[in-house]
Amino acid sequence: MKEKLTLSNLVLISVIFGLLLVSALFAGCTQSTTSTPATTAATTVPVTTVATPVAAATTAVPTTVVTTATPAPTYTATEGNLVAYTAASLTGASSSIGPAFTKAYPNHKVAFNLDGTQALKTQVEAGAYADVFISASNSYTNTLKSEGYFVNDSVKTLTTNYIIVILPASNPANIKSLSDLAKPGVKIAMAAGTVPVGSATMTVLNNSAKSTYGEAWKNSTISNVVTYETSEPAVATKVSLGEVDAGFVYQSTAAASASGTYKTIAIPAKDNYLQTYTIGILKGSTNKAIAADFEQFMLSSAGQQILANYGFTAPKTS
Amino acid sequence: MISRRLLPKKYRRNLTYLAAGILIAGVTLYLALPILALFIRISPDMFFETVHDPNVISALWLSLFTTCITLAVVIVVGTPFAYYHCRYSYPGKVVVDTLIDLPLVLPPAVAGVALLVLYGRVGLLGKYFNMFGMPLAFTTLAVIMAQIFVASPFYLRQAKSLFEQLDPAYEQTARTLGASSLRTLTLVTLPMTATGLISGAVMTFGRALGEFGATIMFAGNLPGVTQTMPLAVYVGMQGNINVGLTISILLVIISFTIMIAVRLIQKREAERA
Repeated sequence: MKEKLTLSNLVLISVIFGLLLVSALFAGCTQSTTSTPATTAATTVPVTTVATPVAAATTAVPTTVVTTATPAPTYTATEGNLVAYTAASLTGASSSIGPAFTKAYPNHKVAFNLDGTQALKTQVEAGAYADVFISASNSYTNTLKSEGYFVNDSVKTLTTNYIIVILPASNPANIKSLSDLAKPGVKIAMAAGTVPVGSATMTVLNNSAKSTYGEAWKNSTISNVVTYETSEPAVATKVSLGEVDAGFVYQSTAAASASGTYKTIAIPAKDNYLQTYTIGILKGSTNKAIAADFEQFMLSSAGQQILANYGFTAPKTS
Repeated sequence: MISRRLLPKKYRRNLTYLAAGILIAGVTLYLALPILALFIRISPDMFFETVHDPNVISALWLSLFTTCITLAVVIVVGTPFAYYHCRYSYPGKVVVDTLIDLPLVLPPAVAGVALLVLYGRVGLLGKYFNMFGMPLAFTTLAVIMAQIFVASPFYLRQAKSLFEQLDPAYEQTARTLGASSLRTLTLVTLPMTATGLISGAVMTFGRALGEFGATIMFAGNLPGVTQTMPLAVYVGMQGNINVGLTISILLVIISFTIMIAVRLIQKREAERA
Protein backbone atom coordinates (compact mmCIF):
# COMPACT_ATOMS: atom_id res chain seq x y z
CA MET A 1 0.00 0.00 0.00
CA LYS A 2 2.72 2.36 1.02
CA GLU A 3 4.58 1.87 -2.24
CA LYS A 4 1.50 2.61 -4.32
CA LEU A 5 0.89 5.77 -2.40
CA THR A 6 4.34 7.12 -3.26
CA LEU A 7 3.84 6.13 -6.88
CA SER A 8 0.64 8.12 -7.19
CA ASN A 9 2.43 11.02 -5.53
CA LEU A 10 5.13 10.64 -8.14
CA VAL A 11 2.53 10.91 -10.87
CA LEU A 12 1.11 14.02 -9.26
CA ILE A 13 4.55 15.59 -8.91
CA SER A 14 5.53 14.84 -12.50
CA VAL A 15 2.26 16.29 -13.77
CA ILE A 16 2.87 19.48 -11.77
CA PHE A 17 6.43 19.66 -13.07
CA GLY A 18 5.20 19.17 -16.60
CA LEU A 19 2.68 21.97 -16.24
CA LEU A 20 5.34 24.22 -14.74
CA LEU A 21 7.69 23.44 -17.59
CA VAL A 22 5.05 24.18 -20.22
CA SER A 23 4.07 27.44 -18.55
CA ALA A 24 7.72 28.46 -18.18
CA LEU A 25 8.31 27.71 -21.85
CA PHE A 26 5.23 29.68 -22.78
CA ALA A 27 6.30 32.61 -20.63
CA GLY A 28 9.79 32.41 -22.15
CA CYS A 29 8.39 32.52 -25.69
CA THR A 30 6.09 35.48 -25.14
CA GLN A 31 8.83 37.22 -23.22
CA SER A 32 11.36 37.10 -26.03
CA THR A 33 9.28 39.52 -28.09
CA THR A 34 9.53 42.22 -25.43
CA SER A 35 12.64 44.01 -24.32
CA THR A 36 13.04 42.43 -20.90
CA PRO A 37 15.60 39.66 -21.62
CA ALA A 38 18.30 42.20 -22.25
CA THR A 39 17.43 43.98 -19.05
CA THR A 40 17.56 40.85 -16.97
CA ALA A 41 20.80 39.79 -18.60
CA ALA A 42 22.34 43.14 -17.88
CA THR A 43 21.20 43.31 -14.30
CA THR A 44 21.92 39.75 -13.28
CA VAL A 45 25.26 39.36 -14.97
CA PRO A 46 28.19 41.05 -13.26
CA VAL A 47 30.50 43.09 -15.44
CA THR A 48 33.32 40.63 -15.88
CA THR A 49 31.41 37.41 -16.45
CA VAL A 50 30.48 36.03 -19.83
CA ALA A 51 26.79 36.65 -20.50
CA THR A 52 25.80 33.80 -22.76
CA PRO A 53 22.36 33.88 -24.33
CA VAL A 54 21.42 30.67 -22.55
CA ALA A 55 22.07 32.24 -19.17
CA ALA A 56 20.06 35.29 -20.16
CA ALA A 57 17.13 33.17 -21.31
CA THR A 58 17.05 30.95 -18.24
CA THR A 59 17.28 33.86 -15.85
CA ALA A 60 14.55 35.58 -17.78
CA VAL A 61 12.07 32.75 -17.30
CA PRO A 62 11.84 32.67 -13.49
CA THR A 63 11.73 36.45 -13.36
CA THR A 64 8.69 36.57 -15.59
CA VAL A 65 6.93 34.04 -13.41
CA VAL A 66 7.59 36.31 -10.45
CA THR A 67 6.60 39.52 -12.15
CA THR A 68 3.05 38.25 -12.72
CA ALA A 69 2.61 38.43 -8.95
CA THR A 70 4.58 41.61 -8.29
CA PRO A 71 3.95 45.06 -9.79
CA ALA A 72 5.15 45.64 -13.33
CA PRO A 73 8.88 46.43 -13.65
CA THR A 74 9.67 50.11 -13.58
CA TYR A 75 11.10 50.24 -17.06
CA THR A 76 10.86 53.53 -18.87
CA ALA A 77 12.17 54.74 -22.17
CA THR A 78 14.85 56.85 -20.49
CA GLU A 79 16.27 53.92 -18.61
CA GLY A 80 18.08 50.88 -19.81
CA ASN A 81 20.71 48.30 -19.36
CA LEU A 82 22.96 47.51 -22.27
CA VAL A 83 24.94 44.42 -23.03
CA ALA A 84 28.18 45.37 -24.72
CA TYR A 85 30.29 42.60 -26.26
CA THR A 86 33.69 44.14 -25.93
CA ALA A 87 37.17 43.18 -27.08
CA ALA A 88 39.22 41.94 -24.13
CA SER A 89 41.93 44.53 -24.71
CA LEU A 90 39.42 47.11 -23.44
CA THR A 91 39.15 45.32 -20.08
CA GLY A 92 40.96 48.09 -18.21
CA ALA A 93 39.10 50.89 -19.96
CA SER A 94 35.71 49.22 -19.44
CA SER A 95 35.97 49.70 -15.69
CA SER A 96 35.99 53.48 -16.30
CA ILE A 97 33.59 53.52 -19.24
CA GLY A 98 30.75 51.87 -17.30
CA PRO A 99 30.51 54.43 -14.46
CA ALA A 100 31.21 57.38 -16.80
CA PHE A 101 28.38 56.31 -19.12
CA THR A 102 25.97 56.01 -16.19
CA LYS A 103 27.06 59.45 -15.04
CA ALA A 104 26.50 61.00 -18.45
CA TYR A 105 23.22 59.18 -19.04
CA PRO A 106 21.58 58.68 -15.63
CA ASN A 107 19.70 55.39 -15.24
CA HIS A 108 21.61 53.89 -18.16
CA LYS A 109 23.88 50.99 -17.37
CA VAL A 110 26.20 48.92 -19.47
CA ALA A 111 27.39 45.38 -18.75
CA PHE A 112 30.50 44.22 -20.59
CA ASN A 113 31.16 40.75 -21.88
CA LEU A 114 34.93 40.87 -22.31
CA ASP A 115 36.70 38.23 -24.36
CA GLY A 116 38.84 37.92 -27.46
CA THR A 117 36.93 39.38 -30.42
CA GLN A 118 37.07 35.99 -32.14
CA ALA A 119 35.28 34.38 -29.17
CA LEU A 120 32.66 37.15 -29.04
CA LYS A 121 32.10 36.81 -32.77
CA THR A 122 31.50 33.06 -32.38
CA GLN A 123 29.04 33.75 -29.56
CA VAL A 124 27.08 36.30 -31.60
CA GLU A 125 26.99 33.91 -34.55
CA ALA A 126 25.65 31.23 -32.21
CA GLY A 127 22.76 33.51 -31.27
CA ALA A 128 24.08 35.40 -28.24
CA TYR A 129 22.15 38.55 -27.37
CA ALA A 130 24.11 41.80 -27.40
CA ASP A 131 23.23 45.44 -27.99
CA VAL A 132 26.65 46.77 -28.87
CA PHE A 133 29.69 45.03 -30.31
CA ILE A 134 33.13 46.55 -29.89
CA SER A 135 35.53 44.69 -32.14
CA ALA A 136 39.32 44.87 -32.09
CA SER A 137 39.49 43.71 -35.67
CA ASN A 138 38.22 45.28 -38.83
CA SER A 139 38.10 41.94 -40.60
CA TYR A 140 35.85 40.35 -37.95
CA THR A 141 33.64 43.45 -38.07
CA ASN A 142 33.33 43.06 -41.82
CA THR A 143 32.53 39.37 -41.49
CA LEU A 144 29.75 40.08 -39.00
CA LYS A 145 28.53 42.88 -41.24
CA SER A 146 28.35 40.67 -44.29
CA GLU A 147 26.56 38.02 -42.24
CA GLY A 148 23.95 40.64 -41.39
CA TYR A 149 24.42 40.95 -37.64
CA PHE A 150 25.10 44.69 -37.58
CA VAL A 151 22.87 47.68 -38.16
CA ASN A 152 25.28 48.54 -40.95
CA ASP A 153 25.33 52.35 -40.84
CA SER A 154 25.91 52.24 -37.05
CA VAL A 155 29.36 50.68 -37.45
CA LYS A 156 32.00 53.34 -36.78
CA THR A 157 35.72 53.42 -36.13
CA LEU A 158 36.21 53.71 -32.38
CA THR A 159 39.92 53.86 -31.75
CA THR A 160 43.24 52.39 -32.80
CA ASN A 161 46.13 50.57 -31.19
CA TYR A 162 49.70 49.63 -32.08
CA ILE A 163 51.58 46.47 -31.15
CA ILE A 164 54.36 46.63 -28.57
CA VAL A 165 56.62 44.12 -26.84
CA ILE A 166 56.42 44.00 -23.06
CA LEU A 167 58.95 42.38 -20.74
CA PRO A 168 58.72 41.66 -17.01
CA ALA A 169 60.23 44.57 -15.04
CA SER A 170 63.12 42.30 -13.96
CA ASN A 171 63.82 41.43 -17.61
CA PRO A 172 65.07 37.90 -16.83
CA ALA A 173 66.23 37.16 -20.37
CA ASN A 174 68.05 40.49 -20.64
CA ILE A 175 66.26 41.55 -23.79
CA LYS A 176 67.46 44.88 -25.13
CA SER A 177 66.07 44.96 -28.64
CA LEU A 178 63.75 43.15 -30.98
CA SER A 179 66.65 41.08 -32.31
CA ASP A 180 67.13 39.58 -28.81
CA LEU A 181 63.73 37.92 -29.10
CA ALA A 182 65.33 35.32 -31.36
CA LYS A 183 67.99 34.33 -28.82
CA PRO A 184 67.76 30.65 -27.90
CA GLY A 185 65.96 30.00 -24.61
CA VAL A 186 63.88 33.17 -24.61
CA LYS A 187 60.27 32.43 -23.69
CA ILE A 188 57.66 34.40 -25.57
CA ALA A 189 53.90 34.59 -25.15
CA MET A 190 51.68 35.79 -27.95
CA ALA A 191 48.04 35.55 -28.88
CA ALA A 192 46.70 32.84 -31.17
CA GLY A 193 46.27 33.67 -34.84
CA THR A 194 42.51 33.87 -34.48
CA VAL A 195 42.80 36.62 -31.85
CA PRO A 196 43.08 40.06 -33.49
CA VAL A 197 46.25 40.93 -31.58
CA GLY A 198 47.70 37.57 -32.62
CA SER A 199 47.22 38.18 -36.32
CA ALA A 200 48.55 41.71 -35.88
CA THR A 201 51.62 40.25 -34.15
CA MET A 202 52.24 37.94 -37.09
CA THR A 203 52.03 40.91 -39.45
CA VAL A 204 54.55 42.78 -37.31
CA LEU A 205 56.91 39.79 -37.33
CA ASN A 206 56.62 39.49 -41.10
CA ASN A 207 57.17 43.22 -41.62
CA SER A 208 60.16 43.32 -39.27
CA ALA A 209 61.69 40.26 -40.89
CA LYS A 210 61.34 41.78 -44.32
CA SER A 211 62.61 45.25 -43.42
CA THR A 212 65.38 44.56 -40.91
CA TYR A 213 65.92 41.21 -39.22
CA GLY A 214 65.40 38.53 -41.84
CA GLU A 215 63.50 35.24 -42.06
CA ALA A 216 65.84 33.36 -39.70
CA TRP A 217 65.08 35.88 -36.95
CA LYS A 218 61.37 35.46 -37.49
CA ASN A 219 61.55 31.68 -37.41
CA SER A 220 63.61 31.53 -34.21
CA THR A 221 61.34 34.11 -32.58
CA ILE A 222 58.31 32.03 -33.41
CA SER A 223 60.00 28.88 -32.17
CA ASN A 224 60.57 30.71 -28.85
CA VAL A 225 56.82 31.09 -28.38
CA VAL A 226 55.77 28.88 -25.47
CA THR A 227 52.07 29.66 -25.45
CA TYR A 228 49.42 31.01 -27.79
CA GLU A 229 46.91 32.73 -25.52
CA THR A 230 43.26 33.23 -26.40
CA SER A 231 43.05 36.92 -25.51
CA GLU A 232 45.29 39.97 -25.25
CA PRO A 233 45.11 40.41 -21.43
CA ALA A 234 46.07 36.74 -21.02
CA VAL A 235 49.38 37.48 -22.77
CA ALA A 236 49.97 40.48 -20.50
CA THR A 237 49.24 38.37 -17.40
CA LYS A 238 51.80 35.75 -18.39
CA VAL A 239 54.39 38.54 -18.69
CA SER A 240 53.44 40.35 -15.48
CA LEU A 241 53.65 37.05 -13.58
CA GLY A 242 57.18 36.69 -14.91
CA GLU A 243 56.34 33.32 -16.43
CA VAL A 244 57.59 34.38 -19.85
CA ASP A 245 60.37 36.73 -20.94
CA ALA A 246 58.40 38.74 -23.47
CA GLY A 247 54.93 39.16 -24.87
CA PHE A 248 53.32 40.89 -27.83
CA VAL A 249 50.43 43.10 -26.70
CA TYR A 250 48.77 46.39 -27.57
CA GLN A 251 50.40 49.68 -26.69
CA SER A 252 47.35 50.54 -24.57
CA THR A 253 48.12 47.67 -22.19
CA ALA A 254 51.65 48.90 -21.61
CA ALA A 255 50.55 52.53 -21.34
CA ALA A 256 47.75 51.87 -18.86
CA SER A 257 49.70 49.54 -16.58
CA ALA A 258 51.06 50.77 -13.26
CA SER A 259 54.58 52.10 -13.71
CA GLY A 260 57.20 49.47 -13.03
CA THR A 261 55.02 46.57 -14.17
CA TYR A 262 56.69 46.12 -17.52
CA LYS A 263 59.67 47.15 -19.57
CA THR A 264 58.72 47.82 -23.15
CA ILE A 265 60.36 47.56 -26.54
CA ALA A 266 58.73 49.69 -29.19
CA ILE A 267 58.19 48.46 -32.72
CA PRO A 268 59.02 51.06 -35.39
CA ALA A 269 55.90 52.53 -36.99
CA LYS A 270 56.96 51.35 -40.48
CA ASP A 271 56.89 47.71 -39.35
CA ASN A 272 54.00 48.07 -36.91
CA TYR A 273 50.38 47.21 -37.50
CA LEU A 274 47.70 49.73 -36.61
CA GLN A 275 44.76 47.76 -35.26
CA THR A 276 41.41 49.46 -35.86
CA TYR A 277 38.64 49.04 -33.30
CA THR A 278 35.04 49.45 -34.37
CA ILE A 279 31.82 49.96 -32.47
CA GLY A 280 28.43 48.99 -33.84
CA ILE A 281 24.86 48.26 -32.86
CA LEU A 282 23.57 44.76 -33.46
CA LYS A 283 20.40 44.14 -35.43
CA GLY A 284 19.01 41.92 -32.69
CA SER A 285 19.22 44.66 -30.08
CA THR A 286 15.94 45.56 -28.40
CA ASN A 287 17.53 48.69 -26.91
CA LYS A 288 18.70 50.39 -30.09
CA ALA A 289 18.04 53.92 -28.81
CA ILE A 290 20.13 53.41 -25.71
CA ALA A 291 22.73 51.54 -27.74
CA ALA A 292 22.94 54.61 -29.97
CA ASP A 293 23.41 56.76 -26.86
CA PHE A 294 26.25 54.50 -25.77
CA GLU A 295 27.89 54.62 -29.17
CA GLN A 296 27.62 58.38 -29.23
CA PHE A 297 29.14 58.52 -25.75
CA MET A 298 32.07 56.35 -26.82
CA LEU A 299 32.71 58.53 -29.87
CA SER A 300 32.30 61.78 -27.90
CA SER A 301 35.26 63.62 -26.45
CA ALA A 302 34.43 62.20 -23.00
CA GLY A 303 34.55 58.63 -24.27
CA GLN A 304 37.66 59.24 -26.37
CA GLN A 305 39.35 60.83 -23.34
CA ILE A 306 38.82 57.65 -21.31
CA LEU A 307 40.31 55.60 -24.15
CA ALA A 308 43.24 58.00 -24.36
CA ASN A 309 43.78 57.64 -20.61
CA TYR A 310 44.09 53.92 -21.15
CA GLY A 311 46.68 54.34 -23.85
CA PHE A 312 44.57 54.04 -26.98
CA THR A 313 45.34 56.19 -30.01
CA ALA A 314 42.46 58.25 -31.38
CA PRO A 315 41.70 57.37 -35.01
CA LYS A 316 42.98 59.80 -37.62
CA THR A 317 40.09 61.98 -38.78
CA SER A 318 40.21 61.79 -42.51
CA MET B 1 -4.33 10.77 -0.96
CA ILE B 2 -7.27 12.15 -2.84
CA SER B 3 -5.99 10.94 -6.16
CA ARG B 4 -5.78 7.42 -4.78
CA ARG B 5 -9.48 7.44 -3.96
CA LEU B 6 -10.51 9.09 -7.20
CA LEU B 7 -8.62 6.99 -9.67
CA PRO B 8 -9.39 3.32 -10.21
CA LYS B 9 -6.53 0.95 -9.64
CA LYS B 10 -5.88 0.03 -13.25
CA TYR B 11 -5.93 3.64 -14.32
CA ARG B 12 -3.42 4.56 -11.69
CA ARG B 13 -0.97 1.92 -12.82
CA ASN B 14 -1.19 3.12 -16.39
CA LEU B 15 -0.48 6.65 -15.26
CA THR B 16 2.53 5.41 -13.34
CA TYR B 17 3.88 3.67 -16.41
CA LEU B 18 3.32 6.80 -18.44
CA ALA B 19 5.12 9.00 -15.92
CA ALA B 20 8.01 6.55 -15.66
CA GLY B 21 8.20 6.37 -19.44
CA ILE B 22 8.28 10.15 -19.81
CA LEU B 23 10.95 10.46 -17.13
CA ILE B 24 13.19 7.79 -18.60
CA ALA B 25 12.77 9.04 -22.15
CA GLY B 26 13.35 12.63 -21.02
CA VAL B 27 16.56 11.89 -19.16
CA THR B 28 17.85 9.70 -22.01
CA LEU B 29 17.14 12.33 -24.62
CA TYR B 30 18.62 15.09 -22.48
CA LEU B 31 21.89 13.16 -22.27
CA ALA B 32 21.97 11.75 -25.79
CA LEU B 33 20.72 14.61 -27.95
CA PRO B 34 23.72 16.96 -27.53
CA ILE B 35 26.06 14.12 -28.52
CA LEU B 36 23.87 13.30 -31.49
CA ALA B 37 23.82 16.96 -32.53
CA LEU B 38 27.62 16.93 -32.78
CA PHE B 39 27.46 14.17 -35.36
CA ILE B 40 24.65 15.81 -37.29
CA ARG B 41 26.28 19.24 -37.43
CA ILE B 42 29.30 18.13 -39.46
CA SER B 43 29.20 16.16 -42.67
CA PRO B 44 31.26 12.94 -42.79
CA ASP B 45 33.32 14.37 -45.69
CA MET B 46 34.17 17.46 -43.70
CA PHE B 47 35.00 15.31 -40.67
CA PHE B 48 37.44 13.09 -42.54
CA GLU B 49 38.96 16.11 -44.22
CA THR B 50 39.49 17.91 -40.90
CA VAL B 51 40.85 14.82 -39.14
CA HIS B 52 43.96 15.18 -41.30
CA ASP B 53 44.52 18.74 -40.11
CA PRO B 54 47.98 18.74 -38.48
CA ASN B 55 46.61 20.57 -35.44
CA VAL B 56 43.96 17.93 -34.90
CA ILE B 57 46.47 15.10 -35.22
CA SER B 58 48.99 16.71 -32.87
CA ALA B 59 46.29 17.44 -30.29
CA LEU B 60 45.07 13.85 -30.52
CA TRP B 61 48.50 12.32 -29.99
CA LEU B 62 49.42 14.79 -27.27
CA SER B 63 46.19 14.05 -25.40
CA LEU B 64 46.63 10.29 -25.67
CA PHE B 65 50.31 10.49 -24.71
CA THR B 66 49.78 12.71 -21.67
CA THR B 67 46.73 10.87 -20.36
CA CYS B 68 48.52 7.51 -20.68
CA ILE B 69 51.49 8.84 -18.69
CA THR B 70 49.10 10.35 -16.15
CA LEU B 71 47.29 7.04 -15.81
CA ALA B 72 50.55 5.09 -15.44
CA VAL B 73 51.84 7.45 -12.75
CA VAL B 74 48.54 7.43 -10.86
CA ILE B 75 48.35 3.63 -10.90
CA VAL B 76 51.99 3.00 -10.04
CA VAL B 77 52.10 5.56 -7.23
CA GLY B 78 48.45 5.57 -6.23
CA THR B 79 47.90 1.84 -5.71
CA PRO B 80 50.61 1.31 -3.06
CA PHE B 81 49.74 4.71 -1.55
CA ALA B 82 46.09 3.75 -1.14
CA TYR B 83 47.11 0.35 0.20
CA TYR B 84 49.42 1.64 2.92
CA HIS B 85 47.03 4.47 3.66
CA CYS B 86 44.33 1.91 4.48
CA ARG B 87 46.45 -0.67 6.28
CA TYR B 88 48.26 1.67 8.64
CA SER B 89 46.97 4.37 10.90
CA TYR B 90 49.16 7.40 11.31
CA PRO B 91 48.77 10.90 12.70
CA GLY B 92 47.06 13.26 10.29
CA LYS B 93 45.34 10.49 8.37
CA VAL B 94 42.09 12.47 8.37
CA VAL B 95 43.88 15.44 6.83
CA VAL B 96 45.28 13.25 4.06
CA ASP B 97 41.82 11.81 3.47
CA THR B 98 40.42 15.30 3.02
CA LEU B 99 43.27 16.42 0.78
CA ILE B 100 42.68 13.47 -1.54
CA ASP B 101 39.12 14.65 -2.08
CA LEU B 102 40.03 18.31 -2.46
CA PRO B 103 40.75 18.34 -6.23
CA LEU B 104 37.28 16.86 -6.80
CA VAL B 105 35.57 19.98 -5.51
CA LEU B 106 38.26 22.49 -6.47
CA PRO B 107 37.51 24.33 -9.75
CA PRO B 108 40.16 23.24 -12.29
CA ALA B 109 40.99 26.87 -13.05
CA VAL B 110 41.90 27.33 -9.39
CA ALA B 111 44.04 24.20 -9.57
CA GLY B 112 45.81 25.73 -12.57
CA VAL B 113 46.51 29.01 -10.81
CA ALA B 114 47.71 27.14 -7.72
CA LEU B 115 50.07 24.98 -9.77
CA LEU B 116 51.39 28.05 -11.59
CA VAL B 117 51.99 29.90 -8.34
CA LEU B 118 53.89 26.92 -6.94
CA TYR B 119 55.73 25.50 -9.97
CA GLY B 120 55.80 28.56 -12.24
CA ARG B 121 59.08 30.17 -13.11
CA VAL B 122 58.82 32.65 -10.26
CA GLY B 123 56.74 30.28 -8.13
CA LEU B 124 57.57 29.03 -4.64
CA LEU B 125 59.27 25.84 -5.84
CA GLY B 126 59.41 26.65 -9.52
CA LYS B 127 62.24 29.12 -9.12
CA TYR B 128 64.50 26.35 -7.79
CA PHE B 129 63.54 24.03 -10.62
CA ASN B 130 64.25 26.87 -13.00
CA MET B 131 67.63 27.47 -11.36
CA PHE B 132 68.62 23.92 -12.27
CA GLY B 133 67.52 24.48 -15.83
CA MET B 134 64.34 22.48 -15.51
CA PRO B 135 61.39 24.74 -16.21
CA LEU B 136 58.03 23.13 -15.47
CA ALA B 137 55.32 25.58 -16.55
CA PHE B 138 54.38 25.65 -20.25
CA THR B 139 55.86 22.24 -20.96
CA THR B 140 54.29 18.88 -21.75
CA LEU B 141 55.29 17.89 -18.22
CA ALA B 142 53.04 20.67 -16.93
CA VAL B 143 50.14 19.15 -18.85
CA ILE B 144 50.75 15.83 -17.13
CA MET B 145 51.16 17.47 -13.71
CA ALA B 146 47.86 19.31 -14.11
CA GLN B 147 46.12 16.10 -15.18
CA ILE B 148 47.53 14.14 -12.25
CA PHE B 149 46.49 16.83 -9.80
CA VAL B 150 42.94 17.03 -11.10
CA ALA B 151 42.27 13.41 -12.04
CA SER B 152 44.11 11.26 -9.49
CA PRO B 153 41.43 11.50 -6.74
CA PHE B 154 39.07 9.38 -8.81
CA TYR B 155 41.51 6.46 -8.68
CA LEU B 156 42.75 7.09 -5.14
CA ARG B 157 39.23 7.18 -3.69
CA GLN B 158 38.25 4.01 -5.49
CA ALA B 159 41.41 2.15 -4.47
CA LYS B 160 41.07 3.34 -0.89
CA SER B 161 37.52 2.12 -0.48
CA LEU B 162 38.32 -1.20 -2.18
CA PHE B 163 41.22 -1.90 0.16
CA GLU B 164 39.12 -0.84 3.13
CA GLN B 165 36.34 -3.22 2.15
CA LEU B 166 38.67 -6.14 1.50
CA ASP B 167 38.59 -8.49 4.46
CA PRO B 168 42.14 -8.60 5.93
CA ALA B 169 41.53 -12.29 6.70
CA TYR B 170 42.40 -13.17 3.08
CA GLU B 171 45.76 -11.53 3.30
CA GLN B 172 46.43 -12.91 6.76
CA THR B 173 45.66 -16.40 5.54
CA ALA B 174 48.03 -16.00 2.63
CA ARG B 175 50.74 -14.74 4.95
CA THR B 176 50.24 -17.61 7.43
CA LEU B 177 50.56 -20.03 4.55
CA GLY B 178 53.99 -18.60 3.93
CA ALA B 179 53.46 -16.12 1.10
CA SER B 180 55.67 -13.06 1.14
CA SER B 181 53.96 -9.69 1.43
CA LEU B 182 54.70 -8.94 -2.23
CA ARG B 183 53.27 -12.30 -3.26
CA THR B 184 50.20 -11.64 -1.15
CA LEU B 185 49.73 -8.29 -2.80
CA THR B 186 50.08 -9.53 -6.36
CA LEU B 187 48.26 -12.86 -5.97
CA VAL B 188 45.56 -12.04 -3.40
CA THR B 189 44.93 -8.34 -2.85
CA LEU B 190 45.22 -7.00 -6.38
CA PRO B 191 43.27 -9.77 -8.17
CA MET B 192 40.44 -9.41 -5.66
CA THR B 193 40.19 -5.68 -6.25
CA ALA B 194 41.16 -5.57 -9.94
CA THR B 195 37.71 -4.84 -11.38
CA GLY B 196 37.15 -1.92 -9.05
CA LEU B 197 40.63 -0.57 -9.64
CA ILE B 198 40.09 -0.67 -13.39
CA SER B 199 36.90 1.34 -13.17
CA GLY B 200 38.71 3.86 -10.95
CA ALA B 201 41.50 4.05 -13.51
CA VAL B 202 38.97 4.66 -16.27
CA MET B 203 37.41 7.53 -14.37
CA THR B 204 40.87 9.03 -13.95
CA PHE B 205 41.64 8.55 -17.63
CA GLY B 206 38.39 10.21 -18.66
CA ARG B 207 38.88 13.14 -16.34
CA ALA B 208 42.49 13.59 -17.47
CA LEU B 209 41.48 13.44 -21.12
CA GLY B 210 38.92 16.19 -20.56
CA GLU B 211 41.21 18.42 -18.47
CA PHE B 212 40.94 22.01 -19.65
CA GLY B 213 41.05 24.72 -16.97
CA ALA B 214 44.19 23.73 -15.12
CA THR B 215 46.01 22.93 -18.36
CA ILE B 216 45.39 26.25 -20.09
CA MET B 217 46.39 28.11 -16.90
CA PHE B 218 49.49 26.14 -15.98
CA ALA B 219 50.68 24.64 -19.25
CA GLY B 220 49.55 27.26 -21.74
CA ASN B 221 48.32 26.59 -25.23
CA LEU B 222 51.02 25.63 -27.71
CA PRO B 223 50.05 23.29 -30.54
CA GLY B 224 51.99 20.04 -30.35
CA VAL B 225 53.43 20.78 -26.92
CA THR B 226 50.64 21.69 -24.54
CA GLN B 227 47.55 22.04 -26.72
CA THR B 228 45.53 18.98 -25.75
CA MET B 229 42.23 18.08 -27.39
CA PRO B 230 39.94 20.12 -25.10
CA LEU B 231 42.14 23.19 -25.65
CA ALA B 232 42.07 22.59 -29.38
CA VAL B 233 38.26 22.44 -29.21
CA TYR B 234 38.20 25.79 -27.44
CA VAL B 235 40.56 27.43 -29.92
CA GLY B 236 38.77 25.73 -32.80
CA MET B 237 35.43 27.16 -31.77
CA GLN B 238 36.93 30.64 -32.00
CA GLY B 239 38.22 30.13 -35.50
CA ASN B 240 37.55 27.10 -37.64
CA ILE B 241 34.43 25.55 -36.13
CA ASN B 242 35.01 22.31 -38.06
CA VAL B 243 38.19 21.70 -36.07
CA GLY B 244 36.20 22.12 -32.85
CA LEU B 245 33.50 19.74 -34.03
CA THR B 246 35.93 17.14 -35.35
CA ILE B 247 37.94 16.98 -32.14
CA SER B 248 34.74 16.87 -30.10
CA ILE B 249 33.60 13.88 -32.09
CA LEU B 250 36.98 12.20 -31.66
CA LEU B 251 36.72 12.74 -27.89
CA VAL B 252 33.22 11.25 -27.87
CA ILE B 253 34.46 8.22 -29.78
CA ILE B 254 37.40 7.71 -27.42
CA SER B 255 35.21 8.07 -24.33
CA PHE B 256 32.66 5.60 -25.67
CA THR B 257 35.33 3.08 -26.60
CA ILE B 258 36.79 3.20 -23.11
CA MET B 259 33.38 2.88 -21.50
CA ILE B 260 32.42 -0.10 -23.60
CA ALA B 261 35.77 -1.77 -22.96
CA VAL B 262 35.32 -1.39 -19.22
CA ARG B 263 31.79 -2.73 -19.36
CA LEU B 264 33.08 -5.82 -21.17
CA ILE B 265 35.89 -6.35 -18.68
CA GLN B 266 33.53 -6.01 -15.75
CA LYS B 267 31.03 -8.38 -17.33
CA ARG B 268 33.71 -11.02 -17.91
CA GLU B 269 34.96 -10.56 -14.36
CA ALA B 270 31.43 -10.98 -13.01
CA GLU B 271 30.91 -14.14 -15.04
CA ARG B 272 34.15 -15.67 -13.79
CA ALA B 273 33.38 -14.94 -10.17
